[in-house]
Amino acid sequence: AAAGSREQHRDRDPGSRIQEQGSGSARPQPPEPSLLRFLVCPLSKKPLRYEEATNELINEELGIAYPIIDGIPNMVPEAARMTHKKPPAEDSEQP
Amino acid sequence: CRGRALLSRVRGAPRALRGLAAGPEMHFGFQSVTEEERREKIYQVFESVAKKYDVMNDSMTLGIHRVWKDILVHKMNPCPGTLLLDVAGGTGDIAFRFINYVRSVREQQLQRKLKRHQNLSWQEIFENYQEDKCNSLGDSQVVVCDINREMLKVGKQKAQQLGYSEGLSWVLGNAEELPFDDDKFDVYTIAFGIRNVTRIDLALQEAYRVLKPGGRFLCLEFSHVNNPLLSRLYDLYSFQVIPVLGEVIAGDWKSYQYLVESIRQFPPQEELKAMIEDAGFFKVDYENLNFGIVAIHSGFKL
Repeated sequence: AAAGSREQHRDRDPGSRIQEQGSGSARPQPPEPSLLRFLVCPLSKKPLRYEEATNELINEELGIAYPIIDGIPNMVPEAARMTHKKPPAEDSEQP
Repeated sequence: CRGRALLSRVRGAPRALRGLAAGPEMHFGFQSVTEEERREKIYQVFESVAKKYDVMNDSMTLGIHRVWKDILVHKMNPCPGTLLLDVAGGTGDIAFRFINYVRSVREQQLQRKLKRHQNLSWQEIFENYQEDKCNSLGDSQVVVCDINREMLKVGKQKAQQLGYSEGLSWVLGNAEELPFDDDKFDVYTIAFGIRNVTRIDLALQEAYRVLKPGGRFLCLEFSHVNNPLLSRLYDLYSFQVIPVLGEVIAGDWKSYQYLVESIRQFPPQEELKAMIEDAGFFKVDYENLNFGIVAIHSGFKL
């Protein structure tokens, strides 16, 4: 959480001229904290959990994770990945 | 892929209809394509034009698009504290205008507040300025949502260059399936974007869903010109000049050909008004700009 807030502070500094280069950047950008209040899963409209380790937004119930690329959450189902390793059971995925 | 198949299965019943869309023919400009093809092609159009989008807008409309967008935000007349969702807002034009507007409204508020306090000490005046500095937007916020990564990238870069950071966030999302909870936003705008949405009815339903009761829907889009003479001139300009500009400036004739064709395929004012009403909005109205070349549709969720 401390690392996350340091990065957010840098992002919010209006004088900052840091240009994000996308795929070349070493540290993944976390999303704006205010944004997390609004975002839900586009499929189930349920709240998401921000996972700092993988920089993803996780829908626990459906077992899917939306990536955050260059600080922009990618909230389309096509971009989401399944969080379960083994073939998921059908019933556990039913909303 | 396996994940994709599963994801499509977890979608709720109303969305299942889209799974059948391999069949129905839709328009992509004047071409006839399937729904899936249409989404792909439109994505590619904007991926291709993203970097030159603003330059092309200025050339094609001779800078008038700036006035249209100014009018939209003035019509919105946001007060500080407003939460705006700008859909298909890619390069940020509406978002930046919104921020400028609430900033200036806020400044006026502060001026008036200070004028009323006649006997403040210098210390008190100083403190007043300090506390309001961190709140120059008055808690207003705009979320820019677009389905195209390239457009968002351009928008984010612009924001950095122009110094916009506070109260602004970017999300990659689909207007037909918004990643936002119900009853969240005060205003929903979609400027020159709804024409490119494949299922306009779904986008309108989503707009209704995410707006708070009392919230306002505003759509700025190319529309139909009634006046026959003007219509003729407009057609001439659209089909003879714009694709050429597209080729010369952006090296992309086809994308701009799509653009002018898509304008002709888009429903006229009254039809769009009816669609907005179907989504549940009240007090739906439209205002023609430049004889109907562009129209602003407005509706309220009550």
